[in-house]
Amino acid sequence: MTVAAGIGYALVALGPSLSLFVSVISRKPFLILTVLSSTLLWLVSLIILSGLWRPFLPLKANVWWPYALLVITSVCFQEGLRFLFWKVYKRLEDVLDSFADRISRPRLFLTDKLQIALAGGLGHGVAHAVFFCLSLLTPAFGPATFYVERCSKVPFFLISAIIALAFVTIHTFSMVIAFEGYAKGNKVDQIIVPVIHLTAGMLTLVNFASEGCVIGVPLLYLVASLTLVHCGKMVWQRLLESRNQSSASR
Amino acid sequence: MESSILDSLGVEIIGVMAPVSICMFLVVLLTYSLSVTSDPQIRSAANLIYIENPSDSATVKLEGSLANAIVFVVLVAAVTFILVLLFYYNFTNFLKHYMRFSAFFVFGTMGGAIFLSIIQHFSIPVDSITCFILLFNFTILGTLSVFAGGIPIVLRQCYMVVMGIVVAAWFTKLPEWTTWSILVALALYDLVAVLAPGGPLKLLVELASSRDEELPAMVYEARPTVSSGNQGRNRGSSLRALVGGGGVSDSGSVELQAVRNHDGNQLGRENTHNLDYNAVAVRDIDNVDGNGNGNRGGVESSPLVGSPSEGHFASAISSEHSTRVGTRGNIDDRESAIDEEMSPLVELMGWGDNREEARGLEESGNVVDSSNRGIKLGLGDFIFYSVLVGRAAMYDLMTVYACYLAIISGLGCTLILLSVYNRALPALPISIMLGVVFYFLTRLLMEPFVVGVTTNLMMF
Repeated sequence: MTVAAGIGYALVALGPSLSLFVSVISRKPFLILTVLSSTLLWLVSLIILSGLWRPFLPLKANVWWPYALLVITSVCFQEGLRFLFWKVYKRLEDVLDSFADRISRPRLFLTDKLQIALAGGLGHGVAHAVFFCLSLLTPAFGPATFYVERCSKVPFFLISAIIALAFVTIHTFSMVIAFEGYAKGNKVDQIIVPVIHLTAGMLTLVNFASEGCVIGVPLLYLVASLTLVHCGKMVWQRLLESRNQSSASR
Repeated sequence: MESSILDSLGVEIIGVMAPVSICMFLVVLLTYSLSVTSDPQIRSAANLIYIENPSDSATVKLEGSLANAIVFVVLVAAVTFILVLLFYYNFTNFLKHYMRFSAFFVFGTMGGAIFLSIIQHFSIPVDSITCFILLFNFTILGTLSVFAGGIPIVLRQCYMVVMGIVVAAWFTKLPEWTTWSILVALALYDLVAVLAPGGPLKLLVELASSRDEELPAMVYEARPTVSSGNQGRNRGSSLRALVGGGGVSDSGSVELQAVRNHDGNQLGRENTHNLDYNAVAVRDIDNVDGNGNGNRGGVESSPLVGSPSEGHFASAISSEHSTRVGTRGNIDDRESAIDEEMSPLVELMGWGDNREEARGLEESGNVVDSSNRGIKLGLGDFIFYSVLVGRAAMYDLMTVYACYLAIISGLGCTLILLSVYNRALPALPISIMLGVVFYFLTRLLMEPFVVGVTTNLMMF
């Protein structure tokens, strides 16, 4: 039960991203490098944030507004970092394109750009799941489990794995949305990403109420599925557009 | 539809990172599963002076561990100098036999001890005779694979990783403070030994490359695994490209793409892949040339990407039938005569008996000695990366992830620097420094933050 439970929790949080990694990312070394660098970026952001908040820790367990402040600052910081990531990626894309021109190979296809965005998002998502869920799983491999008072029906590891899964989804696909938004200069997509992130962060504050996770987690999954649907629609539209363009030019 | 450039970019970096990751992962698993049964103290060269006692005060521990680290580094330096001396006076066979002996010793005793503790810990039912025969077979095969030719490269790579794991698992038994000081001291030593003039490893690499011999050391070669048939054809085509590039005297870039377009049609898919691989590596070096010469427009800043000049396109094709290069020395002469920057030898070095040697992949066109290609990473780098991660694993999983990311990104930086500087580089300093910094940042800053936030089910 013990090792099985630990692995099970880990797979709940990271299973989808694992299959995404194996099926899409691992074929192309460049995408693996993108995932790694994006994970590192997220880790650095987390370290900086924790450095900022370290003097105020530990927060009082019964007051909720410091946590709200913490979530807001963190989300703002990370969204700023996402913009930075986009700038770096933009330069990289130019370099890659000119490089492709030089060796007379085709430039980056639309699918390539989408895959790079996906890899960047996956890096963020995986880093989130790893640091917020997986790194606390060590006791779950032992013979006992752990409940928090505020969510007494479900083991802590399971609930954190479930929340982490929602956040992995949000991070992964909001990166695709954000990159497309920046690339096309679409204001709605640019703004919707921080809004999604902030909403998701705020929804976890619902867990602060006693047994709040019964409401908070489904709401979180609503946000995650909305992100997924929006991303899917947008990518589908882009693919159709590019196909029409290429057939028109041909 | 033609494949996009994304398919081939960064193959060689992943080729090095993958085994390092596997090695670290297995060491972490080992430390996790065996941490209960392993005896707390070992006596080795690494703690000659001071034996750490948990009840000692911090200053005593610090002083003792520093003394240990200094003694260890001095020992390592002395052994390396002896190695250089032996190599200088052409005791190559002695060195090789010594390496074989030490490989046998490591696999047989240290590996055996680890297997025994695994068997004990998981209470695997196996009788002593079977166990002995298996261990003996394993050891002999490992010893053979270290220097003998004719062993599949995959096997050799596997054994290198296993050896890294065994030694690293052994080193993780060192006490905590000593481990950290030794890691930092070795990173500094590595920096000096490879880069400073007169540093032992620098001497060794220069000696080996001037004599055109393989380094008598434990080195992991990240080499594209190709079947021999493909290799032959591949070699032929890149040789032509190489010669074509060499025929132009004013700039030392090789335009492999010309060849690819030329006979790309009849090459199989896998082969195309390999060609891409070569092309990427060669371009790395071209980029350096471009930056150095400064006579080419539009030089990008990213070292991942090269700037081969278009002018070669024609010359590569035109001269590819006219020139023949028979031996490796010939290639080297020609190239050094033509352009110093185009030296096919890119070397990356590690600690002690770890050399890293990344030869520019032009050498894939090498007829005589085709085993000298691909990035080489010293075994010591494997070991000490894994020691760091294994030590981090004794604290928490969070520090493991942070250290892993730090080490891998440090390795990536080193590889990028390698393609910029085009010479042997120490692989330990950047990675170890980043790893140590991230370990303590994670432990001191991040852990309370993350634990405090998540136990309230707060995430963002």
